[in-house]
Amino acid sequence: MSGTTIVIGPDDGDSQRFASALGARLVPAPAFADEEGWRAWRDALVSEPKASGVVVSLPAAKHEPAAISTLALEGWMARGEAPLLGWMTALGGAAPLCADGGAIVAVVDGPPPLDSAGLAPEAAVAEGVVALVRSLALSEGRRGVRANTVTTPSRLLSGPPIAPDPPLAGFPGTIEEDVLAAVRLLLSADAAYLSGHCLPADRGRSW
Amino acid sequence: MVRPAVLITGASGGVGRGIALACGEAGWSVWIAARRPAEGEAVAAEVTALGGAGHFVACDVAEETSVAGAVAAAVAADGRLDGAVHNATSEMSAAKHAPLADFTLEEMRHHVAVSLRGSYLLARAAYPHLKASRGALLLLTSEAGFEGKARLPVYAAVKAAQRGLGRALAREWGPDGVRVNCIAPLATTPALAEAFARDATMKARVMGRNPMGRLGDPLADIGRAARFLLSPESAYVTGHTLMADGGSCPVT
Repeated sequence: MSGTTIVIGPDDGDSQRFASALGARLVPAPAFADEEGWRAWRDALVSEPKASGVVVSLPAAKHEPAAISTLALEGWMARGEAPLLGWMTALGGAAPLCADGGAIVAVVDGPPPLDSAGLAPEAAVAEGVVALVRSLALSEGRRGVRANTVTTPSRLLSGPPIAPDPPLAGFPGTIEEDVLAAVRLLLSADAAYLSGHCLPADRGRSW
Repeated sequence: MVRPAVLITGASGGVGRGIALACGEAGWSVWIAARRPAEGEAVAAEVTALGGAGHFVACDVAEETSVAGAVAAAVAADGRLDGAVHNATSEMSAAKHAPLADFTLEEMRHHVAVSLRGSYLLARAAYPHLKASRGALLLLTSEAGFEGKARLPVYAAVKAAQRGLGRALAREWGPDGVRVNCIAPLATTPALAEAFARDATMKARVMGRNPMGRLGDPLADIGRAARFLLSPESAYVTGHTLMADGGSCPVT
């Protein structure tokens, strides 16, 4: 890819490594629950220079799968609503940061549908992010900006809880092996005609 | 004869009213769970006139105790709950057409609270009763949730999130015999009329992609399709999104 790339993500070692692997600069994002932090973050973006590649990667916290019938409102807010609002704010900020002709890629933790029992909040957030990115593909496409999503179960699951096994070994994959390669592809000129797409990087578990 | 009992949020008008009337014409007990008593009572009376048993129960879908109370009222009166429908949508759905960057946190939060939290709260409150009846949950989503919308991005996101939630719940509740589905309607409603009024080219865009050349009727086209998903006639359908949109969104 040519030009500059930024990664919007939490200010932690994982995000630093992710950004470094992409040759990108990290623009730290607040924690999902930090509403005031998101407000300030959005206001501060006006001073950020535009980039040709904008990657938004906001990892979900890992939780033990819990049935909705047992999930208290506080848990729902923490796992569902706050992350979705964070994603809305982050992607709303990402769009103006992306230079004309550039690319936006969202990396969201989402369980494959087969493995989504007990992870309903995360499944909801992931679907919401896919639709947000498709909305950006539509609104920003006129200035040549592409927007795509990579979904990964690698930070949510340690293995497929039900049969059948995915077609490829190694489910649920890793950020380093699965996600980074997909992000590089979607940022690159090789994906110049891909926009509004959702790429599940999950070794064939969903399609 | 035992009447199946169904509770429908936001059923005081539009598509929710259509679903209520469709269930009413089948003789069901229909609980209109809404904020507006006058309109809700009127729809309940229509349900009763069609041969069902219509009831109004006050409900704010974003409030935990309100949703739990509405479900409890229905179950206390009917002794059962066979179906629960989350139809309520933020009144802001049609009010603001703008790119994502132009939405405030408050606007986003309102959409999320009504559509998504409402889905969660209704699902959680209804679950034990649906498990007892081997009933069905139905969530109202939209083609916007599949395709995204350049100027309705927050609406698109919450509608997609509802579909993700529904699909996960279908897996969670399948072993209990409870089905969970979504329906994505395109119908003549006050909300759509308002959206058309706010966006001069929207009607032409919507109709231009509709092979049937007409908007759906909330009762005949949407309500009866929704009733199918609530009834035992769809006993082997779960985790599905039914596009009741005249073929406008050919993604499934």
